[in-house]
Amino acid sequence: MSASPFRTVLAVSVLLGLAFGQEEGQAPAAGQEPPRVQEVKNPFRPFDRARFETAAKKLGATDAQMQAFAAQVADVGLARAADDLLRAAVPAFDAAVKRHEATDPVAALELAKVLASTTDPLLQSHVRYHMARVFLDSDDPERSIQVLNEYLTQNINHSPLDAEAAFFYAQSLAEMPLPDDAIPRFRAFLQWFPDASERFRSSAHQQIRELERQRESRLHKLADGMKKTTRDLKKQKTDKPVQLDQEKYIEELQELIEMYEEMEKQSGGPPSGNGPSSNPATQSALPEGEGKVGDLQKRPTLADRWGDMKDRDREKIEAAVQKGLPPQYQKMLEEYYRKLGKASGK
Amino acid sequence: MPVSAELKVLKYLQERVNKATKEFDGRPAEQKVGDGAVATTEGLSKKQGRVRDLMRRLAVKLGKENESEGDGK
Repeated sequence: MSASPFRTVLAVSVLLGLAFGQEEGQAPAAGQEPPRVQEVKNPFRPFDRARFETAAKKLGATDAQMQAFAAQVADVGLARAADDLLRAAVPAFDAAVKRHEATDPVAALELAKVLASTTDPLLQSHVRYHMARVFLDSDDPERSIQVLNEYLTQNINHSPLDAEAAFFYAQSLAEMPLPDDAIPRFRAFLQWFPDASERFRSSAHQQIRELERQRESRLHKLADGMKKTTRDLKKQKTDKPVQLDQEKYIEELQELIEMYEEMEKQSGGPPSGNGPSSNPATQSALPEGEGKVGDLQKRPTLADRWGDMKDRDREKIEAAVQKGLPPQYQKMLEEYYRKLGKASGK
Repeated sequence: MPVSAELKVLKYLQERVNKATKEFDGRPAEQKVGDGAVATTEGLSKKQGRVRDLMRRLAVKLGKENESEGDGK
């Protein structure tokens, strides 16, 4: 069963607070309204390559794999090279990602198994990143937010995938759709990661514009409602329905005020990040080799593939979810496969 | 002026229209007929129309700003 919209928004509000620098000890008590994000602090530190390499070796990366990583960085970028290194060092992780690349619905389960088997924050960050991508590809932004929140609260500052995790967090919010929460997160991504891949920065700019348009249309809708009330009043209608309409305008205006105040606070600090990259691309073409990690195209066929599977194969996956996974991942995957089933008609 | 400040002005104006609407509606029935009553509701309608115009103007302004941001990128 999926969570109610209220529970989803409540959960997301709490997640946002945690993900953007709120101390865990400040989490609201049960039944309390979670605090709005007042001030966004940059929780990311510059990528520490030496620390990453030490952690990769601890995970089993060989000297040859480390050399391949070093050679690959210049060609495909740190994020892609780092992901490839971890895939080479941890075969179970590589196998799970290959399942995703093959649009195999079992990918989420395999990734969850790898996640459950490790306490290493570097490997966790890469697994969670890929799980979030699987969920987004399955049109399940709610679970993508859930897993990226775990990334942002437990795994940041270990991997060069941080920038993309921040981008896809905003993307997931946009797909919920929670545009008022997504816009400041896209802006934060642009501000905090000026050197991120141009394809992600361009997409963030584009999505901010689109979300802003949606918000502008909210103002037009409000004006449209007021037009009707203007006519009502002219006809001497001043009864309860008219007054209720007017009350709604006040509520809507208050929401818009709070939303803009939050945005103005954020843009009042350092540069808004809405300008061009400090490291612009020298060519208009997409950088080679980023296609797998940076693929922004949705692949809705995961649901199709789930629908195409034989009943016994689906049952096998559903049974595996019930075995050996920590309760939180078991619940997450139960909901994921249920949703996948609904989308595919199975 | 920040957008939030413009919205606060609009909210204040809308609250005034709401209050006046309630006041009129709460009058005894005999005071809600006749030329005086018509003039009052027309006045209310004009005030509501003024808030609507300002809201529309703000929506259009924000739309233009967003477009120019996009062009300037």
